Amino acid sequence: MKKWLCLGLCLISVLAQAEDNKIKVFAAASLTDVMNVLVKQYGQQTGVQVVPVYGGSGTLAKQLEQGAPGDLFISADEKWMQYLKDKQLVQVPTIKPWLGNRLVMITPQNKPLTIKAEASTDISQQAPGYWCTGDTLSVPVGIYAKQSLTNLGWWDKLKTKLVSTQDVRATLSLVERDECDVGIVYASDAQSSSKVKVAGEFAESSHVPIVYPMALLPQAASEAAAFYRYLQSAEARKLLLSYGFKPLFND
Amino acid sequence: MLTVDIQIHQPYALTSPLDLHARFELPAGRCLGIMGASGSGKTTLLHSIAGLLSPASGVIRSHADVWFDAKQHIQLPPWQRPVGLVFQDGRLFPHMTVEQNLRYGMPAGEGQISLQDVVRVLEIGALLKRKPGQLSGGEKQRVAIGRALLRQPSVLLMDEPLSGLDDQLKQQVLPYIKQVIATFGLPTLYVSHVGDEVAEVADEVLTLAQGQLRQAK
Amino acid sequence: MWTLSPAELAIVLLSLKVAACCVLVLLLPAIGMAWLLARKQFWGHALVDALVHLPMVLPPVVLGYMLLVLLGRRGWIGSWLYEQFHIQLTFHWWGAVIASAVMAFPLMVRAIRQALMQVNPLLEQAAQTLGASPAKTFFTITLPLAYHGVLTGGILAFSRSLGEFGATITFAGNLEGETRTLPLAIYSLTQSPEGDAAALRLVILSVLVSVAALLVSQWLERRLLRSQR
Repeated sequence: MKKWLCLGLCLISVLAQAEDNKIKVFAAASLTDVMNVLVKQYGQQTGVQVVPVYGGSGTLAKQLEQGAPGDLFISADEKWMQYLKDKQLVQVPTIKPWLGNRLVMITPQNKPLTIKAEASTDISQQAPGYWCTGDTLSVPVGIYAKQSLTNLGWWDKLKTKLVSTQDVRATLSLVERDECDVGIVYASDAQSSSKVKVAGEFAESSHVPIVYPMALLPQAASEAAAFYRYLQSAEARKLLLSYGFKPLFND
Repeated sequence: MLTVDIQIHQPYALTSPLDLHARFELPAGRCLGIMGASGSGKTTLLHSIAGLLSPASGVIRSHADVWFDAKQHIQLPPWQRPVGLVFQDGRLFPHMTVEQNLRYGMPAGEGQISLQDVVRVLEIGALLKRKPGQLSGGEKQRVAIGRALLRQPSVLLMDEPLSGLDDQLKQQVLPYIKQVIATFGLPTLYVSHVGDEVAEVADEVLTLAQGQLRQAK
Repeated sequence: MWTLSPAELAIVLLSLKVAACCVLVLLLPAIGMAWLLARKQFWGHALVDALVHLPMVLPPVVLGYMLLVLLGRRGWIGSWLYEQFHIQLTFHWWGAVIASAVMAFPLMVRAIRQALMQVNPLLEQAAQTLGASPAKTFFTITLPLAYHGVLTGGILAFSRSLGEFGATITFAGNLEGETRTLPLAIYSLTQSPEGDAAALRLVILSVLVSVAALLVSQWLERRLLRSQR
């Protein structure tokens, strides 16, 4: 439902802003806070308005596939970038790994837990309640989570209690509200909220490396390329680090 | 013995404002006829006795049971008054068979009036399995009378039971009414605007006019 | 290709279970509310009427959110339920039932109310003179004569529940086996690139289930109509 609403709004905005030179960035939900700041700073420096659209990477990719107007796409995993690449919906030479991240477990702030991400941990006993993460079929954080859980032998024990959300921010929100006992999100998300506590971290070896690739879309205007470069600047690097991301680019 | 001494005040009555004072006694075994023009308040009177309406003041008693007493704030609801009210339009329940309609008001256990008696007197045995939609006007009224009787009422109230029927059916049904009154001996109030009809059925006729219904002692 | 996988069967059964429970849960409240709105005049009648219809007007996601505020684990009522009885409605199929029930309530009330208003009150009057208390009158005369409305209302509620998405995913969440009813399962699959084929299967399944539900309801109607003749 949200997808169709977004699509509808996108179409309307295209009609309304046909002549505008706003840049549209389709960015993974976990980038919400940091991207808002980057966009604001860039606007102050250059006067160019950048409009971010956030969502689960898969939702965004599908919207772009349906013809939603976008200039830049930043996914939380390589799979969804590959998806658009296969459909020739990105400028292939511009695909590059932009950020890395870490996968953590969080709990509501009033219920702190320490969970060792090891196969020997009796997870059913340690965390018997509901777990939340992105949909393990389509949302990057969910896909990474399933890999880690499978790797640790926890998947079978937890899958009947694993609630799917449409993006990582929805998981964060559920844990903040104490609806979910444990959430699996990125370290950057955990850092952004004071209402959750990190319970443990999954080893990087337990999942495919978390890579946020970015790429310009075929219809991107020249201003978009400038913003694309800005995102790889030293200033951006500093900001991204402070939000818990791992820059993978060289300035 | 039914004792009625009530005043009914209905400023919003359908035809014209109604102000009615009724006082009479109905002993066992008697049929009292009430004659009155349309709009004079005949139906209102019967509905008040049945408990569907509340008089402004007065008393209604059946033997020693007080059904209504304005001063004492006693007002029995209709389902607690053992009355058998035969409506002008029959009002059989369309989703039930004739037999189910008949049995509807029957209290548990043996009563004075049995289903067989009623079926015999009103000759509705052949109709028992039918639904009201399959009956003629005259048949419906007979069933309605039977249904009221099987309530084991202490008074039978008949509100113009024939006025909805054409002349031929009226001639057919009237004898049944007389037979019912003769056979079961219930104190009966028979109300109509047709003078001849009332005279045929009733032992004594009172006239309801100008809001007054009085019985000569 | 023509048989259901165990997973698909589980999803269909879950949807049917949630829809059936939705109707059962709503039966008494809907009849009661319909009767109240149809037969009683009281101060606040219009307000109650409007509140009953609210779920028809508000976006389902908004209603799901309201349910979360009310019945979530930290909700006004939900927290009490959790602390006293360790009951959590989110991520449980009863949460899905509640989400469906809230959305379907106005539909059921409307249908029953319309039917009740068509019942001749003079028949109820007659029943009273035959010794029937208001309760007996309601159950033996009024309700049977309004059965059509109850049936229609039930069918509408069942169908609404089968298709319920926004409030369910917001309040009950998307947990496979517990709250992932057909619409949620289709949604999940359409979000993943390899899921289109599986989603299509479920879409066809949804259509079949809905058609089957309609056919059953028509058969029920005919049967009840016949028994009334």
